[in-house]
Amino acid sequence: MTVEQRGFGVGASLRRKEDARFLHGRGRFVGDITRPGMLEVAFLRSPIAHARLLGVTKPQGAEKRVFTLADLPGIGTIRANSALPGFRVSEQPALAKDRLRHVGEAIAACVAGSRAAAEDLAAACVLDYEALPAVHDMLQAPLPDQPLIHDHWTMNAFLETRRNDDVSGLDAVAAAKVTRTLRTSRQCMAPLEGRGVLAEWDPRLEQMIVTTSTQMPHVTKTGLADCLGLDEGQVRIVSPDVGGGFGYKGILLPEEIVCASLAIRLGRPVRWLEDRFEHLSASANCREHHYVITAWADKAGKLLGVECEATVDAGAYSSYPFGACLEAAQVGSILPGPYVLPLLRCHTISACTNKPPILPYRGVARTGVCYAMETTLDALARKLDITAEAIRLANLVPPDAMPYRNLVGKVFDSGDYPEALRRAVAAFDLDAIRARQAAGEAVGFGLATFCEQGAHGTSVYHAWGIPFVPGFEQAQARLSPDGVLELRVGVHSHGQGMETTLAQVANEILGVHPDKVRVVHGDTALTPYSTGTWGSRAMVMAGGAVAEACRQLAGRVAAIGAALMQVSVAEVEVADGKVRRRDSDVFVTIADVARTWYRAPQNLPPGVDKGGLEITAGYRPDPDTGTHSYACHAAVARVDVRTGAVVLEDYVIVEDGGKLVNPMIVDGQVMGGLAQGIGTALYEEMPYDRDGQPLAATLADYLLPGTTDVPDVRLEHMETLSPWTTFGQKGIGESGAIGPPGAIVNAINDALARLGAEVFDLPASPSRVLAAIHAAKGGVR
Amino acid sequence: MSRIAVSLTVNGEAARVEVEPREHLADLLRGTLLLTGTHIGCEHGVCGACTVEIDGVPARSCITHAGSCDGATVRTIEGFDDDEVMAALREAFSQEHALQCGYCTPGMLVTARDIVLRLPDADEARVREELAGNLCRCTGYRGIVRAVLHVLAARR
Repeated sequence: MTVEQRGFGVGASLRRKEDARFLHGRGRFVGDITRPGMLEVAFLRSPIAHARLLGVTKPQGAEKRVFTLADLPGIGTIRANSALPGFRVSEQPALAKDRLRHVGEAIAACVAGSRAAAEDLAAACVLDYEALPAVHDMLQAPLPDQPLIHDHWTMNAFLETRRNDDVSGLDAVAAAKVTRTLRTSRQCMAPLEGRGVLAEWDPRLEQMIVTTSTQMPHVTKTGLADCLGLDEGQVRIVSPDVGGGFGYKGILLPEEIVCASLAIRLGRPVRWLEDRFEHLSASANCREHHYVITAWADKAGKLLGVECEATVDAGAYSSYPFGACLEAAQVGSILPGPYVLPLLRCHTISACTNKPPILPYRGVARTGVCYAMETTLDALARKLDITAEAIRLANLVPPDAMPYRNLVGKVFDSGDYPEALRRAVAAFDLDAIRARQAAGEAVGFGLATFCEQGAHGTSVYHAWGIPFVPGFEQAQARLSPDGVLELRVGVHSHGQGMETTLAQVANEILGVHPDKVRVVHGDTALTPYSTGTWGSRAMVMAGGAVAEACRQLAGRVAAIGAALMQVSVAEVEVADGKVRRRDSDVFVTIADVARTWYRAPQNLPPGVDKGGLEITAGYRPDPDTGTHSYACHAAVARVDVRTGAVVLEDYVIVEDGGKLVNPMIVDGQVMGGLAQGIGTALYEEMPYDRDGQPLAATLADYLLPGTTDVPDVRLEHMETLSPWTTFGQKGIGESGAIGPPGAIVNAINDALARLGAEVFDLPASPSRVLAAIHAAKGGVR
Repeated sequence: MSRIAVSLTVNGEAARVEVEPREHLADLLRGTLLLTGTHIGCEHGVCGACTVEIDGVPARSCITHAGSCDGATVRTIEGFDDDEVMAALREAFSQEHALQCGYCTPGMLVTARDIVLRLPDADEARVREELAGNLCRCTGYRGIVRAVLHVLAARR
C-alpha cells in the first residue's frame, strides 16, 4: 500500500477528519453520556433456554423498581415479517411474556441509581418457571418429534426455500463429483463497544429522544415508534460515536423499546449499557451454517452443476428489520459466486432454535457460502488432479461477458475476475511451497475467489418484503453564511470515516476544502430519512447523493456568482471553492456567494432561485441491482501436525472495489474485514450445550484475533469502474470478511493433503485440525 | 454498603473520593471523575480498552479495584497532552490509519507509549507481542503496528 495524497477529492488517501477526537479520548459514545436524574437499567434475563415463565417475585420494597411486561402495558412486539412464501411469523416480546425461548432473553427491567444497584435488584428477583426441552441442534430442530418453540407453528423453521434445477443427469456425464458436509460456527460480532441506550422523554416536544449505538437511526425510529404506539415525529434517534457495529448495530433492540417505555413511565432519563456477558450470552449471535454440498465438473474442471442442502440456525425470533432468513434465504442466490454455473439445485432451511436470534454480521450469508463453495471447488480439483488456480480459471466469469447475468439473475456490473486470481497467484513462489511439501513439511497454499453484491436497492429488496425497502438515498448540502458546507446524511459512520470520505466527494464537485465541510449524521432530527449504513452501501448511495446535492448546489452558486461578476452563468464554472470566469482569472469565492445570499441579499440577481443555498437531492443507481466488488484471497498456512496449530505465513488479497474514494480507508476496511475473517476461520466459536446454554461467556473463551494472529497482508487493488455509480465506486465494506475461511482452510487442507486429511468445520481450531489428522489415520473423527 | 475513602492523583490533580468496595477504577474514572476517554470493553481484563497508566505502568482499570488505588498516581488518555511520545503516536496513528471506530484507541495508545519508552529496539514481532493484550475489532492491527514502529524508528 502506498498512502499517497492526490488533492482532497475522490481518490485521495486523505487523513481522517474524525481522528483527532478519538486520539484525545474525546469521542462521545453512548456510555459517555449522562443526564441529571438518570436511572440505570439492569435486566433480569433467562437462565434457561426453553421454559414456561410462571412468574417473577420482585424484591420486597423494590416492587416499583422492577418492571415486567405486565407493568408496561401497550408496548408492542417486534415483528420482522417476510413476503417470501411460507415464512412463519414470530412475535418477539420486548420482555418475556409467558415463555422463555433463549438464554439471556430479557424478563424484567430493574431500575436504580447505578448499574451496580440495578444488578443487585435483578439478582434479588425470584424467577418461577417450568423447564421445557431445549431445541439446540439446528439439524434436529425442524424434525416432527421436536418440541415447538412457537406453539402455533407446524415445524421449527422460519422458512424453507427451494430451487429445483434437474441435476439427475450429471452423474452420467461428469468427470468428477464430490460431496462435502461442512459447518461454520455460531459467532458473536463483538464490536469493542456493546449496545447502549439512553432514553429520555421531552415533555415540551412530547418527544422520545433515544440516544443509542446504532448503524441505522431512521429505521430504528420507525420500528421504535411502531412498538411504542407513537407517531414517528414523536421519536428522535441520536446515534453518537459508535464503537464498531459490523451489523450488530443494525437491529431494533428489545432493550430500546423497554428503556423508552420506562422513560415515559418514570419521567426520568433511563440508560442501559450492554456488558460483555450480555453481548456474548444474550444478544449478539450470527452465522452458524451447515451444508451438504455436491458439485459435478468435467475433466477440465468446468462446473456442470451444484446441489446444496443448507441449514442456518436462525435462533428463536425474527429480528427487526432484516428478519430470520437473511442468511439461509440468500444461500441459493450467492452460491454461484463469481462463477459460470449452469445448474443449481438448492434447498435451504432457516431453523428455529432456543438460541438468541441470528443477526447480521459483516459478509452476512456470503462468508459461509464462499467457504462452502471454495472448499468444495478444491476438493473437486484434488479429485481431478488439477490445480486450485486451474479449476477457478475454468469457471470464473470472463471480463468480456460483463455485465453478466448469472443463473439466479444477479447482474455483475464490471471487472476482470480471472485477472484478480492470476495476480494473487503470481504473488507467491508456488514452486518453493511445493518443494517444502515434497520435503515433508505441512505447509499449504489456498485460494478463495468471490464477489460481493453491495448497495443493492429497491429492485432486490422489495421481493423480500422485509419491514423496509431501500429506495432513493437522500443527502442535504447547504452553505452556511460563512461559506462552510454542511452535508446531512441519514447513513451513519461506525468507523468507516464518512466524515472524511463524504467531504472528499463534496470537494470533488465543489472544490471546497474538506476542513470547510461538516458532515452531520447520526440524528434523525437533522438528517434525511435513510435505511442507514449496512450492505456495503454507504459510499455508493450516500456518496452518490452527496455528489448529486453538491452538483445542484453548484448550479445555484454559479448563478449568484455569475451575477456578482456581472457575466452570464454560461461564462462561469465552479471549481476549487470558487466561481470562476472561464475566460480569465476573475472569480468570487463560494463564501462570497454564501455571504451574499444570507447577509447581503440586496446584491442577489433578479430571478434568483428562491430555494437558496440549500439542496436536498436523491440518488439511486440505475440499475439498482447492486455493485459487485470482487477479490481473490490467497493464503499460505503452516500446520503443526503434533498440536494442530495453524500459522498464517503469508496472505495476499487482490481486490477490485471500482473507484476507491479514499484508498487508505478502503485498505482499512479490507484489513479489518480480514481480521474478522481470520477469526471465523481459526478462532471464533460460540458453542451451545445440549441444554441450549452458551459456553463462551467471556473474551477469554470467545477468542478474537489479536495482533499476533493477523499477518501483515499484501494488498493489491484493481480499479475497474462500475458503469452504474457516480464515480464508478463499488461497495466494499464487507469484502475482507468473506474470503478468509475459504482461503485459509483450503491452505490447511493443501498442507494436510499428503496425510489424506481434510478439515470440514469452522473454526479450524487445533482440536479440529488434530481430529482431521487422526481421522485420516483411521481413527474416529 | 460501606464505602472506602481513597486519595489519588489523576492526571496531575488530587482527588479525594469515596468508593464502594466493588467499584472498579474504570467506573471511578468515567463516572465520578468524568474522564470518559477510558473505555470499557469487557470488564474482565481481556480486551485492553480500559488501559490506563497506574504509577507509571499500564494497567487494566476494569480489574483494578478503585479502593486499592489510595495513594496511586493515575494517568488516563486525557492526561497526555504535554507528552511528546504521545503526540508522536497520535500523529502516527492518524497517518497510518490505525483507528476506525476509535473505541480501543485510548487503551491502545497507553500501551503503545509504554512500548516506545520501554523497548526502544523492539522489532515488528516484539511490537505485535507487546500489543497482544489490546484488542481492536476494526483495523486488523496493521496500521497500529506500523504507527508504533514508525515512532520507534523516529526516536532512534
